[in-house]
Amino acid sequence: MYAFQYRKASSLKEAGELLVKDADAKPMSGGMTLLPTIKARLAQPTQLIDISGLSELSGIEVKGGELIIGAATRHQQVASSKVVRDALPALADLAAHIADPQVRNRGTLGGSVANNDPAADYPAAVLGLNAKIITNKREIAADDFFQGMFATALEAGELIVRIAFPLPKKAAYAKFPHPASGYAMAGVFIAQTAAGVRVAVTGAGSGVFRWSDAEAALMKSMDPTALAKLTVATDDLNEDIHGTREYRAQLVKVMAGRAAATIAGKN
Amino acid sequence: MDQHQHLFDVGGTHVSRLEDLRLIKGEGCYAADWNLPNQAHASFLRADRAHAKIVSINVDAARKAKGVLGVYTGEDAVRAGHVKPLSMLTFAGKDGKKALIPERPTLAHGRVRFVGDLVAMVVAETELQAQDAAELIEVEYEDLPVVVAAESALAAGAIQLHDNVPGNLSFEQEAGDAAATTAAFAKAAHVTKLKLDCTRVAPNPMEPRACLVAYDAGSESYTVHVPVQGINMMRMQLVAYAGVPEDKIKVVARDVGGGFGQRSIAYPEYCTAMMAAKALGRPVKWVSTRSEAFMADSHGRANYITAELALDKDGTFLAMRLDWIADLGAYLHPAGPVSPMRNPVTCLNGVYKTPALFGRWRVVLTNTAPVSAYRGAARPEIAYTIERLVDEAAAQMKIDPAEIRRRNFIPPEAFPYKTPTGSVYDIADFPGVLEKALKLADVQGFAQRRAESEKRGMLRGLGLSTVIENSGAGMFPKDEVLLEVATDGKVTAYSISHSQGQGHETTFAQIIGDALGIPAERITLRQGIAEKGLIGNHTGGSRTIVGAGTVCHIAAKKLIEHATPLAAEQLGVEPSQVAYAKGEFQSKDSDKKITLGELAAKKPLSVTGEGKFGSTFPNGCHIAELEIDPQTGVTQMKSYVTVDDCGTVINHTIVEGQMHGAVAQGWGQIFGENVVYDPETGQLLTGSFMDYAMPKAGWISDIHIADHTTFGTISPLGVKGMGESGCTASLGALTNAVMNALRPLGVPPLDMPLTAHKLWQAITSAKKGN
Repeated sequence: MYAFQYRKASSLKEAGELLVKDADAKPMSGGMTLLPTIKARLAQPTQLIDISGLSELSGIEVKGGELIIGAATRHQQVASSKVVRDALPALADLAAHIADPQVRNRGTLGGSVANNDPAADYPAAVLGLNAKIITNKREIAADDFFQGMFATALEAGELIVRIAFPLPKKAAYAKFPHPASGYAMAGVFIAQTAAGVRVAVTGAGSGVFRWSDAEAALMKSMDPTALAKLTVATDDLNEDIHGTREYRAQLVKVMAGRAAATIAGKN
Repeated sequence: MDQHQHLFDVGGTHVSRLEDLRLIKGEGCYAADWNLPNQAHASFLRADRAHAKIVSINVDAARKAKGVLGVYTGEDAVRAGHVKPLSMLTFAGKDGKKALIPERPTLAHGRVRFVGDLVAMVVAETELQAQDAAELIEVEYEDLPVVVAAESALAAGAIQLHDNVPGNLSFEQEAGDAAATTAAFAKAAHVTKLKLDCTRVAPNPMEPRACLVAYDAGSESYTVHVPVQGINMMRMQLVAYAGVPEDKIKVVARDVGGGFGQRSIAYPEYCTAMMAAKALGRPVKWVSTRSEAFMADSHGRANYITAELALDKDGTFLAMRLDWIADLGAYLHPAGPVSPMRNPVTCLNGVYKTPALFGRWRVVLTNTAPVSAYRGAARPEIAYTIERLVDEAAAQMKIDPAEIRRRNFIPPEAFPYKTPTGSVYDIADFPGVLEKALKLADVQGFAQRRAESEKRGMLRGLGLSTVIENSGAGMFPKDEVLLEVATDGKVTAYSISHSQGQGHETTFAQIIGDALGIPAERITLRQGIAEKGLIGNHTGGSRTIVGAGTVCHIAAKKLIEHATPLAAEQLGVEPSQVAYAKGEFQSKDSDKKITLGELAAKKPLSVTGEGKFGSTFPNGCHIAELEIDPQTGVTQMKSYVTVDDCGTVINHTIVEGQMHGAVAQGWGQIFGENVVYDPETGQLLTGSFMDYAMPKAGWISDIHIADHTTFGTISPLGVKGMGESGCTASLGALTNAVMNALRPLGVPPLDMPLTAHKLWQAITSAKKGN
């Protein structure tokens, strides 16, 4: 750890101003990624601006066909919320399988989405459901938000305030956890909506991405067998000591099949 | 034998641990919990490369940094004479040659040899200041070729790590009868040959390493607070490494959060803290980070074995031959190489009457973290080797795996049994252990369960392993336990054997309580109290129950014997007229009584019991049943049965806890844990829990634990030890179960770790027909 200043922001406005003033300051909510990074001396922020207690960032509600969740909502709150369980059970299930209970009780939706870890779970739901990311400055569509490993459309001083998930007809998430870290080695979120089917993949590549072949196939038939003849392009998938590209492609396909089976009621 | 059978009926067979409440309430005192007035904090600069000459080190900026009290490098270590760690590899090897032991200055001097090797130590007012200053040290390196794999290190032309160790071969030994083995192989009807990698693992105890060293200039003595498996073992090594007389080092330890062998070493960090504490006249504290632990704690296993089994046409074992390469890393930890040289030889025949055995062992140095004992200390490796050979041979010869074992077991009537390598197994019932396990695992119903799995598209496998391991004997001349009686009748026991989670406080209290006829709750164990000057072994090799545990019983009996005449004097009768029961001495012909406490109030009452014990041979059979998902390669445990003969069971709760932990460790090693270095650069690729796959609670399902006891003859309690049998038996059982599931597809023998990725590749490749 390096020395840093800690400040608890009193309002969203103040937090935004503090971050604009100091390019090396970092916003912190749950801190579940940031704090370990700091402890390992891999990050050296001048200030930590604590936004976890801000009322503007809290709340879970269904309004106008959308599930709207405040950015500082913890994974455990999403997992156990009756509102989420009723409106979008796939999201509650996803949240219930993030990391471990300690992390779920600290980590937040906004923090995870803003960090855009290529193996995080939430980006799959955000992209799969084509959610809107509402910041202190604007609204950003999920398709525009994620820009590759740890990169997003967020600008300096821009904070996620809440995320609006359009409610699908049905949705499901299937995850293959990394044997060591427990992050997604392949996580697939499938949403079936009036507009069609979206399939978002996390963990397998350098960032969350859509698998369009699977979308087309599942549009015709929401059944795991619809994926049987598809192959996942391996060019952009990760390869390391834990698995080859081919293995990750296989996992994407198997997880997509399992999510489709859940939607089809075949599990 | 009768006495053993009822000995622990008193108090029940499942007793909850007395220490748990204190520990879960956060009242434990671990190494980092110690603090002393005016203490300073140390941080280390470690090598960021695996092999390089140190051209220069510039510490000027670090010295001038805020709060810095001292900066030390290899020059200081050499000047202090801290260059030779103790070596226990003192016996002669092949052709009478002794081991070549490399020097290891406590801070690297002239050359770094693994990623994490210590380059410099900064001591500052705060930990943060020490860390900041360590980053200001400039080291100029000249990179050298790197050798990571032990076989590569032995190859002609390999870069040599140490000037005094040609070819990186520190030691070579042979054991067994070469001629008889060659002759047996020549007439064999069948030979099974396997190459077996027992992968390198990181012990990862929950409590990180730490030390707090104080130096008293007046008495020229050190107090070293450090996590240990036993204070005497630690002191002995510090004496050797730091060149300080034994009476000038006091080791202090209270609670220890996990060990697995990793705590049995006096690491260079501890000696450098001694150097700095003396130089600065202030206590020096260091607490390891988890990243440092992955790099520089002792690693385990790392044994690579080529093994052959010769059989006649009926599946009778004729001979076994091994070529064993032990990768010890860049330097030799004091006892590191002793485990793979000694333990496999002691139980080279396993549970079988194989008549001819021969092996060659080599101790090799590589650009990796030094390796030392890890739960089982090469006992699991030899058991794994034998049990993999036996299972593969059975499959190749189409003999039922249980049947091939039955045909080759040392029969119960053969005990005491002298093995071909000279060990004496005192007593066991291998067929009894096997049959009980087969029944508990419902092996008869397996075919049906496999068919049911197949319907769901899953591959089911069942694997067994029948093993034996040596425990008991220790390296210190004896084990002592001191008992002190307080005036309220409570007893305090003192031992050197130190718990790192084994539950000594409970087990020892039960043994003493049983002998004294008082509740275990009235006995308090204090471990590692240097002032008592006791002799004894550290906790290790599953031997504590045999050594210190048995001595608890001996000491308690001695206490009664010692106190009887004192009680008689108080009661005014002849000692022969005094009977002891339940904490009281009573005159046989009157109701006059005196309690232990009342006696202690008259005059301090204490005794020291002692004992020395030879080898015991715990043994058992484990049966694993698994299901593998061919789509992902993921293995799920369906059932796991253990039947062990650890002699008398003092406390089933403790035994079951040991088994759970050790089987989880075995599961971890087989299915995920693996320290990986980049073969080109020697960089550690599994330096955190993001990449190092520890076993997780959800991966292990119910473990069915049972005993099949023969009472050991070495300890009067009949105990044999059981802390490691879960590792020793599980490596083979789990791998055999996987191979049992995959063999029908044509998958060739696989090596640990059997990751989902590896299994998926093997299944996919077999299905493609190659």
